[in-house]
Amino acid sequence: MSPRETDLALAGEYALGLLPPAEHEAFELRLATDRTLALAVAAWRDRLHELDAAAPPIAPSPDLWAKIEGAVEAPPRVAAASPPRSVRPQVEGRPSVFAGLWENLTLWRGVGFAGAAASIALGLVLVATPKPRAPIAIAVLLTSDGVPGAIVDIYADGEALVAPLQDVSVPDGRTLQVWTLPDVQRGPVSIGLMPRAARTRLASMELPAPKPRQLYEITLEPAGGSPTARPTGPILYKGYAEPPR
Amino acid sequence: MTADAVATDRTDLCAADLAACARGDRAALRAIYEREAATLIAVAARIVRRREVAEEVVQEAFVQIWRRAGSFDPALGSGRGWVFAIVRNRALNAVRDERHVPVEDEALAAYAEAATDVDDAFGRLAASSALRRCLGGLEPRRRASLLLAYVAGLSHGEIAERLNVPLGTAKAWVRRSLLALKECMA
Repeated sequence: MSPRETDLALAGEYALGLLPPAEHEAFELRLATDRTLALAVAAWRDRLHELDAAAPPIAPSPDLWAKIEGAVEAPPRVAAASPPRSVRPQVEGRPSVFAGLWENLTLWRGVGFAGAAASIALGLVLVATPKPRAPIAIAVLLTSDGVPGAIVDIYADGEALVAPLQDVSVPDGRTLQVWTLPDVQRGPVSIGLMPRAARTRLASMELPAPKPRQLYEITLEPAGGSPTARPTGPILYKGYAEPPR
Repeated sequence: MTADAVATDRTDLCAADLAACARGDRAALRAIYEREAATLIAVAARIVRRREVAEEVVQEAFVQIWRRAGSFDPALGSGRGWVFAIVRNRALNAVRDERHVPVEDEALAAYAEAATDVDDAFGRLAASSALRRCLGGLEPRRRASLLLAYVAGLSHGEIAERLNVPLGTAKAWVRRSLLALKECMA
């Protein structure tokens, strides 16, 4: 079977609901970034849809719509997702223009910029916003192909700011989870959950300050986080932290 | 209007309604419900076997449809296919969780019903349908392997058991039938 045929059959098996949990998860991870595969899945759905459309209808109970409407009116449950102990994930709202500038300035550090124009811009921003905290370490997390996927800024108080660099559509019932490996003996430790690929601030008070070349990674886990307190899902991105020079 | 034209029409309605749901228009969710709920319950019931469980599945699915409508991408396929896929997935999750604690009598009854449902689903396809023609071209047990998975929501292992063949054979039948179906419907 050619690779193309294998993917076609895999997409069909996914549409049929035949993939075992681990393969199902790995396939959804590929789906999030592989449009050809997503098209193949949708084509299978549409190809087989007639089997569903021709099913003899069963009238819903009279109160079914009311139940749906009641559930839809309830506030979104994102905030209620139970995070691991001592970890408070918080997805930030849209950053202000100035906040965005500050993030950029953080990234420019080390590149080394100078000149009157930059100084003037910096002056303007200094007037407009409070002084930003400087991270004590920055980790650039890469995909298995070496493409930058996310940046993690780690602050002295243990807080981490995770900024995804790629669009990831997190499948329903799943979450992204951020991990680090403070030492091999202790094993990976969860820093917190990122329900969607958006800039996320994670406050993890118990972790020691990162050492040079400390490993960070982001995995795909069941909603609410890995049930085992260890990464169980596929790794999306990983990389090492270094203190900014 | 032909049956195909009706189906196309409905598909487009779903895509438009999903776009409206993403904008927070609850009437659009109601419109999907009015049009599709009875068929969706039927599809879920073929997998979960119990009507009240099927209704729960559809209820959860509609909440999910509402929350995820913004992630529907019309360039990837029909809105109706997307809606039905959500219900199928939830039904499969419900039944896979539940199969850990089978109730003896119900399991036996379900076993018999699944076979009937599969034959019935194939028989109900329109005479002019390409899907019917292409499924009809498959060797009957290979066709059954596909239909048991799609219509009754059986796993590879359950299909192997049902068709009394080794697991590897059931997997190979499903794969080759899928590729043959794709080729035939192209």
